[in-house]
Amino acid sequence: MINYNFQRNLGVDFIPDKNQDDHVEHIYRQKTDKRILKKNPWRDYRLHGTVLILVIIAELIGTIKIPLTKDVAITIMPLIYTIILGLVFYLAKPIKWIQRKQARIAEGAMMLFIGVLIAKLAVSSGQSIGLIFDMGPALILQELGHLATILVLPIALLLGFKKESIGMTNSIGREPNVAVVVDKYGFNSPESRGVFAIFIIGTVIGTIFISFLVTLSLSFLPLHPYAFAMASGVGSASMNAAAIGPTLAAFPGMETQIEAFAGFSNLLSFCVGIYIVIFVALPLTERLYNWLEPKIGRDSILPAKKEDD
Amino acid sequence: MVELIDGSENVSVHGIFNWILLLTIFSIITVVANFIGYEHPIADSLIGMAILSLITLAGVWMERYLPLNISSIIYISVIGIALAFPGMPTSEVVSYYVSQVELLSIVTVFLAYVGIGMGKSWNEFKTLGSRAIIITILVIASTYLGSALVAHIVLVMTGVPA
Repeated sequence: MINYNFQRNLGVDFIPDKNQDDHVEHIYRQKTDKRILKKNPWRDYRLHGTVLILVIIAELIGTIKIPLTKDVAITIMPLIYTIILGLVFYLAKPIKWIQRKQARIAEGAMMLFIGVLIAKLAVSSGQSIGLIFDMGPALILQELGHLATILVLPIALLLGFKKESIGMTNSIGREPNVAVVVDKYGFNSPESRGVFAIFIIGTVIGTIFISFLVTLSLSFLPLHPYAFAMASGVGSASMNAAAIGPTLAAFPGMETQIEAFAGFSNLLSFCVGIYIVIFVALPLTERLYNWLEPKIGRDSILPAKKEDD
Repeated sequence: MVELIDGSENVSVHGIFNWILLLTIFSIITVVANFIGYEHPIADSLIGMAILSLITLAGVWMERYLPLNISSIIYISVIGIALAFPGMPTSEVVSYYVSQVELLSIVTVFLAYVGIGMGKSWNEFKTLGSRAIIITILVIASTYLGSALVAHIVLVMTGVPA
């Protein structure tokens, strides 16, 4: 129902008319269906051929380790090359065969391919189901760790955001969170503008950023391997995927367990996380906002945003 | 507007045909990645990808056809866990062939599509200020580190050996 409301709002207010600019609509499975049904997406050999070539290039380069100090190294994995090359291929002017149409198909197809990723993680979870029950408390409680985003609220206020900061810092701002915020505050509210901003920026830099964040955390934080695995279930399939990579590389021999925890924690984020946002995170963020805003709030410096109207 | 709202509740055979072909393409690219990156035998990883594709297909189909409002992600997870559950007659076969497909091969191919798809958001991205970028980075970092720390504390308190 939430999704439906959001979708209706999108249809009425949000989609800017030029070039059918539809950057958030892939949230909706129905839309994906439609795209997959209408365009015969498998027929776009240019897209799939390009992906094949990107993947071959990435796998041939392989994993690169850049040592920072004696013990600390940054690991750059093939998955980073494919994201960046994919983006570069789309943006580069001379490459004429990857255009908006291909990006739309890629986005639609992605929603189906998430399934394969989830299936692989589920098989690993099934194999180690006993272990998952043993680690139940940690798996469930770490979902509450996602509330740490609220700590960013004071910084958002100091940077001059007003009510936008509620939308920005209540959660990681992926599809389900966008839907919740829009449903609660309405489409043209500052809160929704905030969550849209996080959504768009997260889409573009989230995967790349989290992979570096995880690499650095693995080097500098002496945490339990399972803790890293569980934390990678942040509630976004692509960020989850990007976070698992370096974790797997850092703990060889523990692949099945790491995949099992990462997959299960992502599943939990998906089922339980949304209720944590609705019943805990959003009310908490609002309270903190009402308490802090009079104290440290600045004059609003927000430039007029595109999403405004 | 109506065109934006109504989806395709009546997914036809044609739709399933499209899904199957897309999954086949995805499987082939993943098997190539799996072979170049990890040198797993092509035949075994093809069977592994076929199993994963069938699970995906079943989940996606159930989401659209069963009268329950449950996301395909949940169906796919439940089917995958059930097939590999120790003691199930399928568990050995499924576990063996699926283990021939490295998760990272799937991720690498998946993220190539993500990379091309996210190019579409580039223009909107450019209009957002650096302040919003700072907040996004902090939000992602805090959600990851927050749950890593909580998980670590609980694991240590419950005495799980590293």
